[in-house]
Amino acid sequence: MRLKIAILIAKSAGALSRILLRKSGETIPGRVLLIIYPKAITELAQNRKIICVSGTNGKTSTTKALVTIISKLGSVTTSPTGSNLDRGVATALMRKSDYAVLEVDELHLSRVINEAKPALVLLLNLTRDQLHRMHEVKRVAERWATSAKAAPNTLFVGDIDDPFVALALSAATQSHSVSFGGRKHLDGAVCPSCGKYLKWSKNNFKCSCGLTNISPDELFEPGTAALRNATLANVAGKLLGGKAIAIDEKSLERSVDREYKGVKANLRLTKNPASWGEALNSVVGDDVVLIVNSREVDGIDTSWLWDISFAQLQGKRVVVCGERGLDIAYRLHVEGIEAEVTSNFADAISKFSSGSNVHVLAAYTAFHELINA
Amino acid sequence: MSQIKIVRIHNELLGTYGDQGNAEVLAFRAKFHGITTTIVDVNYNDPLPTNGDIYLLGGAEDAAQLLSLEALRRDDNLEVLNLAIERGAVILAVCAGFQIIGNKFWANGQEVDGLGLLDVVSTPGDKRLVGDIKTISTVLGFELTGFENHMGRTILGPTAEAFGKVVTGHGNGDSKFDGAVYGNIFGTYMHGPILARNPEFADLLLTRATGRKYAQITDPLASKYASWRRKVIK
Repeated sequence: MRLKIAILIAKSAGALSRILLRKSGETIPGRVLLIIYPKAITELAQNRKIICVSGTNGKTSTTKALVTIISKLGSVTTSPTGSNLDRGVATALMRKSDYAVLEVDELHLSRVINEAKPALVLLLNLTRDQLHRMHEVKRVAERWATSAKAAPNTLFVGDIDDPFVALALSAATQSHSVSFGGRKHLDGAVCPSCGKYLKWSKNNFKCSCGLTNISPDELFEPGTAALRNATLANVAGKLLGGKAIAIDEKSLERSVDREYKGVKANLRLTKNPASWGEALNSVVGDDVVLIVNSREVDGIDTSWLWDISFAQLQGKRVVVCGERGLDIAYRLHVEGIEAEVTSNFADAISKFSSGSNVHVLAAYTAFHELINA
Repeated sequence: MSQIKIVRIHNELLGTYGDQGNAEVLAFRAKFHGITTTIVDVNYNDPLPTNGDIYLLGGAEDAAQLLSLEALRRDDNLEVLNLAIERGAVILAVCAGFQIIGNKFWANGQEVDGLGLLDVVSTPGDKRLVGDIKTISTVLGFELTGFENHMGRTILGPTAEAFGKVVTGHGNGDSKFDGAVYGNIFGTYMHGPILARNPEFADLLLTRATGRKYAQITDPLASKYASWRRKVIK
C-alpha cells in the first residue's frame, strides 16, 4: 500500500471516531496508520526536523514552550494533547510541516528515536512513576542510553542533575548538558552507569566510573521544576537556531485557575512523588483538595503515596476525593493530618465557602477531566 | 517494654516501591498501645544497630538489591541480624528484601547467595507479575491485601512456612502461596505498603517484638481502608 492511501484511511478513521464516538479523534488516525503502514513514522519523518521531548514530568508544558520558539523558524506540527505514545507521534507527523516538536512517552522514546531520527532530543528528568508499567526506573534509563548510543546524528540535550539523564547524555555521540547546580534525586542512590553506590556531596554526584553532573556545558541557577523546564526549552530552541522566549513559570507548572460557585480553585497536576513534592511546595493558602485516582495513566497502585511527605499540609483544611481518596486519607492520617473524605470533586469543592482560594492537587486523569469540563 | 526501636534498612536502596511506609505505620499503631518508638534509618555505609526490635527491608531494583546485600554482609551486620533473631527481634522483608534474606536469588542475570535467614530460594520467571494481590495469612488467619510488582519465583525449603495462601494474584509465582515465615521472620511480595493496608499485621509485629499482648485498637479510618481493599480485590 502507498503511504498516501494509508494516511487517507487513517484520517477517515479519525473523522469517524469524532462523529460516531464523539472522541477527540487525535490518537485514532496514528493508531490506524501504524497498523496498516508500520513504517509510517520513518517515512513521514523524512525531509523535516524532528525534535523530541521526554521525561517523567513536564513533557507537555516544555513541548508547548519549544513549539513557541520553533514556530518562529518555520511551520511546526506537534503532538495532540496528552497523546505521547507512538500513535500520537504518527498522528502529529501526518500533518505537513518544516518541524515536528513531539512529546514522547519515556518508554516509547526508543522507537521514535530509531524511526524518526530526530535532530534533537530534549531529556528533562526521570524519576519513579507508574511503576506497574515502567517496572523499574533503571529499565527506562537503560533504554534511553541504548537508543542515544545508536543515534550518532542526534543531539541529546538534558538536565544532567538527574543521573539517568546524565547516563543517556554520556552514551550519546552529540550532547549538550545543562545543570542547575545539582539537586537530590529520590532514585539516585545507585549509579545507573556502573551499579556502584553513587557518591553525592551535597547536591552533586560524582561516581568513580566517571558519571557526574559537575562541569556541564551550561550552568544555571537552581529553580523550580517549571523554571528548569522552561530554561531547557530555551536551551534546546537556541541550539536549533531559535530565539529564547520569556519564561512564564505559571504557565509551565501545569496549573489552571477555575471557579466553582464562587470558590477560586487553582488546579495542579500531581502524578508521582516528584511532581507532588513540587506541587506541595507551591501550596500557600489554607484550603486544599487532593484527588487520587488509579487508572492506567495514574499508576494502578498507590504505594508511592508513602514516598511523599505531606508535612506542608499540617494545620490546613484538607479534603480528599477520587477513586483512591481513602488511600491518601489514611496516608495523611498516619502523618498526623486528618482529611475529610468525600465521594467526588463536586462534594469536595462544595465544602469551601464562596470567595475562598483552594489549591486542588489532582491525579492525571482527574486533572484532565477538570480542565476539559 | 514501652519503648521500641524500628530499624529501616537501606531505604535509599530498598525504597523504590513505597515500603518505607511500613515503619511509619508501626510507629503510628504503637502509639495506640502506649509504646514509644524511634525509627532509625540505616544507610549503605552505616552499621546496623545491635538493639533493634523490628528490622524492615523493602523492594528494590536489581543493582540496589545487590548493594544492600553487600552492605549487610559487611562488618558485623549479618552477625547483628543473627543475634537479633536469637533474642526474638522481628524482621519484615518485602519483595527484593525478602529475596535478600533468603538462601539464593538472582539479580542482574546472576545467581547470588542471600543472607540465609529464611529458607527460601528465588529465581527469575519469564514474566513480570504486576497487580493487586489478596492472600489469607497463615499466621493471622484472615485476608491481607497489597500490590505485587516483581519477576521473582520463590520456593520454600523445609524450615520455612508460607506466609499467605493466594486468593488473587501470584505471590511466590505459583499463585498458591505468598511469602514465607519462620519464627519472627516474615517475607512477602506485598507492597501497599503491606502494613498500611493491613494494620492488624502491624499490631501482630508489635506483639511479637515486645512479647506483650495488647488490647485491640479502635481506628475507624484504618479499619475502613483495610476492609475496603479486601472487598474490592476479588
